[in-house]
Amino acid sequence: MMNRILSLIKMDINNTYGLSAIKYNLTNKRDKWQIILIPIIILSILPSYYFIVSVIYNMYDGFLNIGQKSMFLLYGILIAQLILFFTGLLYVLSKYYFSNDMNILIPLPLKSRDIVIAKFISMMIYEYLTSLPIALPFIITYGIRGNEGLLYWIYSLIILLFVPVISLSLASIIVMAFMKFTNIKGKKDLVRIIGYLIMIALLIGFQLKVQSIAGNSLMGEEDFIYKLITDSNLFVKRLGIIFPPSMWATLALNSYMNFTGLLYAMLFIGVSLLSFIIMVLLSERVFFDGLIGNLEVYTSKESGKVKVSDFNKSYPSYLAIGLKEIKVLLRTPVYLLNSVGGVIILPIITVMSMFMEDASILVQLRTLIGGNYSLINLIGIGYVTALGIINCVGCTTFSREGKNMWIHRTMPIEIKDQIFGRVISSLFVQIIGIVAILGCLAYVELMTVQSIFWITILGILGSIPMTELGMMIDAYRPLLDWDNPQKPMKQNLNVLIAMAIGSLYLLVIGFLAYKLMDIIDIIFLYGILAVIFIISSYIFFGILERLIKRQFEVLE
Amino acid sequence: MLKLKDLSKTYSKGGVRAVDNINLEVKPGEIFGFLGPNGAGKTTTIKMIVGLLKPDSGNVFIDDIDVWENPLEAKRKISFVPDTPEVYNKLKGIEYLNFIADIYGIPKSIRQERIEKYLDIFELKNAIGNIIGSYSHGMKQKLVLISALIHEPELFILDEPMVGLDPKSSFKLKEIMRERCNEGKTVFFSTHVLEVAEKLCDRIAIINRGKIIALGTMSELRNSADDNESLEKIFLELTDDE
Repeated sequence: MMNRILSLIKMDINNTYGLSAIKYNLTNKRDKWQIILIPIIILSILPSYYFIVSVIYNMYDGFLNIGQKSMFLLYGILIAQLILFFTGLLYVLSKYYFSNDMNILIPLPLKSRDIVIAKFISMMIYEYLTSLPIALPFIITYGIRGNEGLLYWIYSLIILLFVPVISLSLASIIVMAFMKFTNIKGKKDLVRIIGYLIMIALLIGFQLKVQSIAGNSLMGEEDFIYKLITDSNLFVKRLGIIFPPSMWATLALNSYMNFTGLLYAMLFIGVSLLSFIIMVLLSERVFFDGLIGNLEVYTSKESGKVKVSDFNKSYPSYLAIGLKEIKVLLRTPVYLLNSVGGVIILPIITVMSMFMEDASILVQLRTLIGGNYSLINLIGIGYVTALGIINCVGCTTFSREGKNMWIHRTMPIEIKDQIFGRVISSLFVQIIGIVAILGCLAYVELMTVQSIFWITILGILGSIPMTELGMMIDAYRPLLDWDNPQKPMKQNLNVLIAMAIGSLYLLVIGFLAYKLMDIIDIIFLYGILAVIFIISSYIFFGILERLIKRQFEVLE
Repeated sequence: MLKLKDLSKTYSKGGVRAVDNINLEVKPGEIFGFLGPNGAGKTTTIKMIVGLLKPDSGNVFIDDIDVWENPLEAKRKISFVPDTPEVYNKLKGIEYLNFIADIYGIPKSIRQERIEKYLDIFELKNAIGNIIGSYSHGMKQKLVLISALIHEPELFILDEPMVGLDPKSSFKLKEIMRERCNEGKTVFFSTHVLEVAEKLCDRIAIINRGKIIALGTMSELRNSADDNESLEKIFLELTDDE
């Protein structure tokens, strides 16, 4: 059994990250220049990461001063585990249920357990890329500043290794249960996924509630100050109930010198393993049930017939392309999760992490802002603009065509219609994102009529150059050779490149807005932003037009 | 209607000359068959005609319009059916046809009439409201054929159109090709199926190793070979490399 799982893992990792393809490209093709691309991407992310790490480094003092330095550790582990859990809910769904390799794996003589374990481990390896950059700065800062001993580092290593296990096991259990119970004949993927997104939103809402209750009860206690002084783990014990495993990991690291630490470490590891085993056992019972229905294609004799109403509309080319893009986006689960799912979940997670500590931040924030809601508007506009690239619609638009690309290249479609149509599909997703952001603002009671107006108008204007920027990168190096919709969306380097370049664009405009904010009237600032967005849309459009024309000719 | 002038293409890998200086002219109202063994350069040539592969040298003219100079104008006159029917699996059949009709700007009254006519011919009427992902290979092929006929192209280009079609549909397709030529429109298709070429084509070209090694009507080809040989025999003799 071990061998079978090992070779499955190997195949899955190879397939997921396209290792063989990369190796082939590096040795055989003219794409060798791509080797330099990866360091460039990493370098472009480094400055912002350095900034975050230095903030973390200084946070340590804050907790040290109130004698609660273990809280510092809890932060790192808790954020890592929660982010892994919530992104895991999306990742597991597409990995287990919507990847095309299932068509190949199911007919093979494999137990569902083998498939799930292999997929889980390959996913875990990927998730270290998320968990380590988050948790490591906390763990290293704590270790260095506190002059902790060798045992601390050994404990850290083991705990870091196990950090993704509980989050991903929980996410897998939820996903498998969800898929099992929603596997109703005839129910379309779309309905299922919307239900799924609502469930995630509810989970996050629940999480928020637990946090604020934990925070409030802590602050509200009569002998709070006394407890604060006597118990150096007070914060961790009280706020750790948000996600107890993070608390156990923290206490293990904090008390590594004594027996309690060992007990907590064993508890953390034990529960991690237990959750993994439960997940595997559950997979035996429900995995195939949820899956097999998913591979069926829903058809019926009645719905198959052509109706007169099918013909009562005709659209200009750009709109036909836009509508086609939107339909494919909504009906392909992986696309839906990454585009629409992303723009809905991200604002919610942001709000959640802002009020992570306790709800009183909200009060402080409101006092800080006072009557000055324009700051909120500016942040909202920046956020929507950023979503313009995070939604992945622009930077995968040609890659997603895949083998259907011939249709666009052999038909008489003007390049400008190609651009308009594809931008429209991105704006469609953006509007959903704007609604999510405004919803979040309403939830924290920071929404005004003005913010609805400015965030919507300028957010849409800002989304256009961002989408075009993504399209430029995707037009330049489209990933057309795939048979699994995961590839153009989740394993497309274009997404990363677009995010790197897009964040530079945003940084420049954000810096400008920050500098001008106090000097000129806010209405002027909105005007300046609008002008910048419009001019850059126009410039990018021109570049894009030439690029697409050339690429449509030279692609082979 | 279609003119290939000194057309060449070399693939970067290994420097193989896939298409080597081809010259060809197809007249309006003709059914032209493009024959050759596997890997002879048929698909490469067709891809250069429809705008999917840029020639290294030479020109492609459709109705005297250079395909690579004025692609939009040229593409309005043609339609292309590739050898594998890759279409959007997540769209319904009817949505795909409407999409294509939108791109060619076909008004709704005309598109309804044409789509219904071809759906009847290819017996796809009961499946057209389902998503394409549920179609068999042959159904997808029929869908692509219908989509290629919606705008009544002056030049109909097909790559191995009979592969994957059931006998009835392939008979109907041959009828459609014949009808189009009677209306003065042109059909250019590649095939391995020699019988089809023999019965259907007004003229035939045989390509081997990127070069055209025979060109003419069936009787011209026969005359150049020994008496009354079948196309199969001619084909085998011509493409026999040692």
